[in-house]
Amino acid sequence: MADKTLGKTIARVILVAILVVGLGWMFLTPTPKDRKYPDRIPVRFWHRWGGEWAEVVARIAERYNQSQTKYEVIPLSVPGATADAKFMTGVIGGDPPDVMSMWNGAIPNMAASNLLTPLETLMSPADKKRFFEESYPVIRDSGMFRGKAYGVTIGSDLSALYVNVDHLKEAGLDVENFPKTIEGVIEWGEKLHRYDKQGNLRRLGFSMGYLDFISHSYGTGFYDRKAEKLSILNPDNLRTLTAITEQRKRVGYDKVVRFVSGLNTGSDTGGWPFISGDLSITIDGQWRVEEIRKYAPKMDYRVIPIPPPKERGTPLSGTVSGNFMIIPTSARQKEGAWDFIRFWSGFGDLEASAQCYNDGGWLPLTPKVVETKTFEAWLNENPQFRAFISILGSPTCRPMPPVPYLHFLNDQIGRAEDRAVRGTVTPEEALNELERNVKEELRKRKELGYRD
Amino acid sequence: MNKFKENLVGWAFISPWVIGFLIFTAFPFLQSIYLSFTRYDIISAPQWVGLANYRMLLFEDELFWKSAAVTIRYAIISVPLLVVAGVALAILLNNEVKGIAIYRTIFYLPSIVPTVASSVVFLWILNPTTGLVNNVLRTMGIQGPAWLNDPTWAFYSLIMMSVWHVGGSMVIYLAGLKDIPAYLYEAATIDGARPWQKLRHVTIPMMTPVIFFNLVMGVIGAFQYFTQAYVMTPNGGPQDSTLFYSLYLFRRAWKYLDMGYASAMAWVLFLVIVVMTAAVFRTQKKWVHYGG
Repeated sequence: MADKTLGKTIARVILVAILVVGLGWMFLTPTPKDRKYPDRIPVRFWHRWGGEWAEVVARIAERYNQSQTKYEVIPLSVPGATADAKFMTGVIGGDPPDVMSMWNGAIPNMAASNLLTPLETLMSPADKKRFFEESYPVIRDSGMFRGKAYGVTIGSDLSALYVNVDHLKEAGLDVENFPKTIEGVIEWGEKLHRYDKQGNLRRLGFSMGYLDFISHSYGTGFYDRKAEKLSILNPDNLRTLTAITEQRKRVGYDKVVRFVSGLNTGSDTGGWPFISGDLSITIDGQWRVEEIRKYAPKMDYRVIPIPPPKERGTPLSGTVSGNFMIIPTSARQKEGAWDFIRFWSGFGDLEASAQCYNDGGWLPLTPKVVETKTFEAWLNENPQFRAFISILGSPTCRPMPPVPYLHFLNDQIGRAEDRAVRGTVTPEEALNELERNVKEELRKRKELGYRD
Repeated sequence: MNKFKENLVGWAFISPWVIGFLIFTAFPFLQSIYLSFTRYDIISAPQWVGLANYRMLLFEDELFWKSAAVTIRYAIISVPLLVVAGVALAILLNNEVKGIAIYRTIFYLPSIVPTVASSVVFLWILNPTTGLVNNVLRTMGIQGPAWLNDPTWAFYSLIMMSVWHVGGSMVIYLAGLKDIPAYLYEAATIDGARPWQKLRHVTIPMMTPVIFFNLVMGVIGAFQYFTQAYVMTPNGGPQDSTLFYSLYLFRRAWKYLDMGYASAMAWVLFLVIVVMTAAVFRTQKKWVHYGG
């Protein structure tokens, strides 16, 4: 009996001690200082990067803060798929950021809702010249909607083929004779697949996908820029989806899904399956160059623009997405926000801007940044990045469709691709469905009073 | 103190809650009725569109019906499954064996793990190549499916995960079991009832008020099912197999900025839940026993 009472007393003492220590830790831990430069005008900057990337962004913000004495940029990481929603609630609640880095696909919808400041209103004549005349057309246009500039890039993304040279050697293939057509890449992929005893993939040679992106290699993608309207049911899109479906059928859809969904998500921390050797040739973005430099500096690899198909193909094509700076209409400190954009994007000191882009391995606004000593030195260290620069300057590298319902369109394109490669519908039926669904949505939008 | 003053003091005491309720619950609730008849992108002022949102979603939106079907199917399968699993587990854990408190804690623990955290754990468990489930199946010579990437299995993966959270209702069932008077079992024993007969004629009838409570809460929860589907299959799963109603509603509201349409969807969901709950309440006279 006495033992039981003693046991209970000890348990109570331990519990109270844990509570005291826990509460003490909570209350005594010093809170981080709110402001490093309390005398300056605060510029609140929201961005979508997390983890190591957030640290890169914080360093860039600090470099800006040290470069002048008027403003203090205070970065805040708002990562994840809900960043747009958080931004919106900030705006409705009357407490938006002064500047935010946003996925450019969200720009048309927000600009159409009068949520964003037309940036021309903040640009000096020299800024306007830089933006409208000296930037990469594809990047400039990716931040524009209905003729006005709403977003300026601080790091655009493009995709190309990453090729593992050691895998090629092992299969008796020479990277110097890399195929000039997408059909050739598919053939090489077949030679690079590896299977286990049960016939499951244990290495994926190459898998075609990303209908939205790769359709530019076959034609004009899903938007006709001359006619300024969507172009879904065109023969080139059908050729693209058929090629994707046929290739996936040949490898075995279930095998690819099983293998790919078992891979590491590759969340920018060296866990990318290309680095771990699970993929031989894969389509991915330019930021991976920096990732390989950090986590696998000795890896022998090449970056090669996606080659066009044998017939009616477009070399050096693709579509740009990425992080674009926007300033909300209701921002309190627009001048400070624009000054920070100028610093990072390449309107002011080009060398400082090049350093910002190089920190994250991002694509710049203007060729003038690429021509700087800083950028050139970085390119010499990372020669594979040049492939992306060559695509960026190509006239067949196009912005995403400038439509306010882009999220809906992208969801539907992804859905069509998924249904076709699973064999639920034929590629033609998938595109017909896509066309029907988009038309139906547009009809509804018109009826509800939307302009487009 | 006269009656008026007494009332005033009472209202003053509950005023923080009343004000909070009026501002953060009642007002948005009523406001959303109005918004459901408008085109509203959250930024611009709402534009009146009459019944257009309701007409479009009921008669012209394929995904509305698809998502409703997925949700109803989930409710039909998961709610009875959770009731049966919860009652069975509670009966097992009602035995006074050594270490029973530890067993109860183990079964209860999953229900207090944050949903997002447990969803991420399940993403790993259901990984077709490296996941625990397929590795166990592999030792038995079975090739497991691609789970969340397989249109047939993605839905059942989420059902499986919901059963993992049964601990919360299990505790309520266990409390219900403890409340059953011992004399009923003694009388049944004297009458020669066997264990199965005691379960059938004493335990389950006496548990019906608790089962009823969990059934109502389960139906409401099933129709509002969102978090796990959002974390594990944010795009609605392969072939829309896990496009739950709330997931589609969220997409319409926050991705497409179609708040009017989403409000209409929310009201349809609210009415369906009211009807379903009322239907369950109407049946209680036939099967719920409140007598001690």
